[in-house]
Amino acid sequence: MPDDRAPWESSATGQFDPSAQELSELRELILGPERRRLRELERRLEAGATPEEVADLLPEAIALRAGRDRQLARALAPTVESAIGESVRRNPREIASAIFPVLGPAIRKAIAETLAGLVASINSTIEHSLSPRGLRWRLEAWRTGVPYAQIVLKHALVYRVEQVFLIHTETGLLLSHAWAPDLSASDPDLISGMLTAIRDFVADSFAPERDAGGLRQFSVGELTVMVEQGPRAMIAAVVRGQAPDTLLTKLQDTVETIHLQFSAPLADFDGDTAPLAGVRPLLEECLATVVATGRERTSRRAAWLPWAIAGLLIVLVLGGLAWRSHRRWTGAIARLRSEPGIVLVQAERGGRWSFTGLRDPMAADPSALLAAAGVDTATVEQHWEQYLSLQPQLVLARARAALSPPAGITLALAGDTLRLRGSASLRWFATTARTAGLPPGVAALDLSGVTPDIPPELAGRVADVERERILFGVGSAALDRPARAALTRVAAALVRVQTAAAVLGANATIELAGRTDPTGTDATNQTLSRERAETVLAALAERGTSPADVRVSALGTTQPVAQGNPALNRSVSFTVSLR
Amino acid sequence: MIQKKVCMVGLFGTGKTSLVQRFVHTLFSERYLSTVGVKIDRKQVELDGTSVTLVLWDLAGRDGQEDITTSYLRGAHAILYVADGTRRETCDQLPELRALVREAAGDVPEVVALNKSDLKERWTITDADEQALASTFDLIRTSAKTGDGVEDAFQRIARATLATREARP
Repeated sequence: MPDDRAPWESSATGQFDPSAQELSELRELILGPERRRLRELERRLEAGATPEEVADLLPEAIALRAGRDRQLARALAPTVESAIGESVRRNPREIASAIFPVLGPAIRKAIAETLAGLVASINSTIEHSLSPRGLRWRLEAWRTGVPYAQIVLKHALVYRVEQVFLIHTETGLLLSHAWAPDLSASDPDLISGMLTAIRDFVADSFAPERDAGGLRQFSVGELTVMVEQGPRAMIAAVVRGQAPDTLLTKLQDTVETIHLQFSAPLADFDGDTAPLAGVRPLLEECLATVVATGRERTSRRAAWLPWAIAGLLIVLVLGGLAWRSHRRWTGAIARLRSEPGIVLVQAERGGRWSFTGLRDPMAADPSALLAAAGVDTATVEQHWEQYLSLQPQLVLARARAALSPPAGITLALAGDTLRLRGSASLRWFATTARTAGLPPGVAALDLSGVTPDIPPELAGRVADVERERILFGVGSAALDRPARAALTRVAAALVRVQTAAAVLGANATIELAGRTDPTGTDATNQTLSRERAETVLAALAERGTSPADVRVSALGTTQPVAQGNPALNRSVSFTVSLR
Repeated sequence: MIQKKVCMVGLFGTGKTSLVQRFVHTLFSERYLSTVGVKIDRKQVELDGTSVTLVLWDLAGRDGQEDITTSYLRGAHAILYVADGTRRETCDQLPELRALVREAAGDVPEVVALNKSDLKERWTITDADEQALASTFDLIRTSAKTGDGVEDAFQRIARATLATREARP
């Protein structure tokens, strides 16, 4: 057994020795227990922990690790799940009886709440079916064809949450309070306390066992107070009218939300509501849900009013439209009737407006007239036959179109004579006015009021002619030498006048006026003045000048050229007219 | 806003209700005391610039102390006991009453109002009795009739409730 020897021993002795037996026993006596413990320790180190040892440590180890982090729970979860599954498969009854105490109350509570809601709605239906209001609703259902149940539902929804209290369950102190905007809420803190007291009172008086649920709901006249309990706070809603079941759910949700979001402030609540200020919007949501439906009730009372207003508006609008249309119609007809050159024969206002009649081509465009009267011409039918109107405006318009007078000329109609006045160029005067045909409705043209504008050059030539006097001896109609010379000048000047006038398209008319001195009888003088004028005419003809339009007048002594100058009056003078 | 629930406890006829009537804001009538067994009032106390609203639960005092509805005591931040100096038994029963109250409300600040101080000559408790009470309670003499000590009692209650709040971790 070399193992039993210590290293120094074997190296010291080398081989077996009888006295070594005693030494070995001595060694065993002194070092034996330590050796055995050492061997045991070695064995343990090699073999690892035994189940017995783990069993000793396990509870403490689990507690230690669970307190440190969640690793243990995570690691165990799948095993626990499959273990439960296995257990249920093997013996369902065992696990059912184990969880029954937990499940029972939970299921009971859920069923009780559902039934409470159901009973509330059944109650309200029964109640309403027997009341006068119920009869009215039946009538409404019959009238509208909507099922009675739906009508009841519709009216049962008419309610309003007026106040919502959040109350600390333990102390009854008011945590938060919300109320309808048009309501004055007085002393909510006292009401909150009293509500808690009454809840306790009811619980103590009628349901002494704990966790009976407490006061859920009570009604006073039209008001119902709905209470929803939470572990630390309860919510109480004051509802006017028929509260729907959804409101209960809403309150439950709100209580749960508040407990979730404000769990720390609720747990630490010691009278200071400041950390719970954020609760108020949640309570206000309970109000807001209902104000909208509450409005339906007030609107029902005055339901006819909006309809009446709408009806009145429609009537007003339609009436306004009809009146406007009528005004347009009469306006359009009056406009067409008053227009010269348009004769309205027929006007119809069926589906489309239609106008039939006569129209002078010179008259205004009927479409433009209708448009000016506010009529949409695209939707109007028009049939116009052409005709000639003898109304003065149209006659003048036609004349204007035919003559195209320059700006200085005005046209006027006197009976069937067209009178022109003003000044115009000689060219227009000589061509257009003279050659244009008379427009329909005009029988005669009076141009006497028109002064032709004669160009200066032509006017100078005319003056050359008119300046000349052919003088005669006493009682003579014979031409002497100076007279013949003058005639030669006149003849040349006349030719120049005629040439210039012809260029402008005008005609020159020459008037030869013969005169005498006062001696002798008027009859003689008359004859003598004619002889003198004709002598001049003949002499002009001799000189190759034969004006197309020549008038000879024998004035005798009637229009003397100069008083007291017999020599000047024994003469022939020239007047040139340009036409 | 800081609110505190204060329960007023005392035997029947100790003048509990009349003690506070002139000093508090009342909404409910006294009928509540005989029906529901509690009447709730409010007392506003200004304390070093802090406004404290004391919600006073006036618990109906009946002939037997066991009649007190202990649910009403739950969550109280302080208790105001009211005893009647002219009726010795109202003082004698205070320790028992206190035990009952503490069972429901826990260990909260307490103030004892020894009422009817205006009728000192008719008191049936001696100065020694009063000394003994003062050794276990925060005692203050009050008079519903003259109003002596009432405001002081509320001040002390309010201060005590705030002190416990601050003392909390």
